Amino acid sequence: MIRFEGVKKVYPGNGNTPDILALNDVNLHIRKGEFVFVLGHSGAGKSTFLKLILREEEATEGRVIVNGRDLSTIKQRDIPYLRRGLGVVFQDFRLIPTMTAYENVAFAMRVTNIPERQIKRRVPYVLNLVGLTGKAHSYPAELSGGEQQRVALARALVHSPPIIIADEPTGNIDPELSVEIMELLQAINSVGTTVVVVTHERALARHFNKRTIMIDHGEVVTDARPKRKREVTFK
Amino acid sequence: MKWSSFKYLTKQGLHSMVQNRLMTVASVGVLTACLIITGIAALLSVNVNSFVDYLSDQNEFEVYLNDGADQTVVDAFVQSVSGLGNVAEVEYVSKAQAVEEMRSWMGEDGDLLESYAGEGNASNPLPASVRVRVDDLELLAETVESVKGLGADLIYDVQSPTELSSVLVGMKRAVTYAGWGLVAVLGVVSIVVISNTIRLTVFARRKEINIMKFVGATNAFIRLPFFVEGMAVGAIAGVLSTAVVGGGYYALLRALENPNAAWLGEFTRCMWPFKDVIWIMLGGFVLFGVFIGGVGCATSIRKHLKV
Repeated sequence: MIRFEGVKKVYPGNGNTPDILALNDVNLHIRKGEFVFVLGHSGAGKSTFLKLILREEEATEGRVIVNGRDLSTIKQRDIPYLRRGLGVVFQDFRLIPTMTAYENVAFAMRVTNIPERQIKRRVPYVLNLVGLTGKAHSYPAELSGGEQQRVALARALVHSPPIIIADEPTGNIDPELSVEIMELLQAINSVGTTVVVVTHERALARHFNKRTIMIDHGEVVTDARPKRKREVTFK
Repeated sequence: MKWSSFKYLTKQGLHSMVQNRLMTVASVGVLTACLIITGIAALLSVNVNSFVDYLSDQNEFEVYLNDGADQTVVDAFVQSVSGLGNVAEVEYVSKAQAVEEMRSWMGEDGDLLESYAGEGNASNPLPASVRVRVDDLELLAETVESVKGLGADLIYDVQSPTELSSVLVGMKRAVTYAGWGLVAVLGVVSIVVISNTIRLTVFARRKEINIMKFVGATNAFIRLPFFVEGMAVGAIAGVLSTAVVGGGYYALLRALENPNAAWLGEFTRCMWPFKDVIWIMLGGFVLFGVFIGGVGCATSIRKHLKV
């Protein structure tokens, strides 16, 4: 699903500022159906990790392979098709302010030329899934932070992508809502979708006991698999 | 792209015009102002040109013939002149016709010339002549020389307005170059101003474009609504500027219907009729507006698509 092979990313300086090494020799493999936390402090390289997967940035060295596409050789015109295979939930939601919740979600389907009839069936279903049935015709400005996050999640889910990436999905919402959002992501993962949650909250990763990749100073410092729950046998 | 997507995106473009009405009004206003100024310059140029054309059409020169020339030689001379290049029309005026023309020009006093009238009247002092009208005023001097060359023995004198012709030719050239030069400069200014206005509109919506890119929209999918919006803005500005410039031109024509000065009357007669101007203006303004709006949008958005 997602593979990093010896990936290095350097942001060049501009004469007055030195080059910035954002990621260095990153090797990892996230398989189909996995739920992975990518953990790290601010400036550790998490955003660069995400940008490389979305092909917003290109690796300076090494290869990034997403859904079978090698992003070092991908053509510019194929990038939209790469992104259609990814559902992304951003920390700042990134909803189009001039569109209603329904339109924002439907937009992700429209870009893939899905027939209107199918959109009309699928969007209300997904909005219902994230608990926003009554808010379909509200604009983002009329929704709370948690509701906006759920619209963003619905938009990421609506075209059933094989991979969902959530960037600090709980960063701008209440702790109670955070659990709700994470449970939704778990439910999505339980039907076979690969979920990658990029966060700085260690507690969140600990609470959900999933594979956790920790990045620090641009390098993967730990890649811990979930601990198996101890089996209790009754005599 | 599917037809349903095309329909949706076109609708989005028009919808966005209403949603971003402040920017729409600004873009329409700027483009309308540019088109009005360009239109006035173009109208001025074509009308002055038409007037100069009219003046140059009046141009002819007269070749006076020696008395007692053999009529067959004269006929052959007229025939040869007709065959010259740049000669539009040749008219032979006999001595008797010359007297009649002068009598008619003198009106009631024409009776004074009665004793000179009549074919073969030996006391008639007026010479026979050949009137030559030319096609291209610029070649007048050369045509006069050619005519002189054809009948040096036959010709008594040639009267040609070569100086006036060179003034008219120069004037026409100046009006054409200055007029269309002004239109071209204003056209370029319009493109710069409108593309900056559109750039502002696109800049205000860069986040929207960014989001579209991240959900997998192709460049064409993102561009089309902006393109539709730009073209619609251009079309509205085209219609508005036609209404303003066309209305002004109509009012001017009405005001000049009964001019006080004779020269103004001549000028008014040469002006392009309203019904001929209005459709050309509407077509030109709308096409120019749509082109500028569409191209302006397509180029302004390019920078924001590189994500």
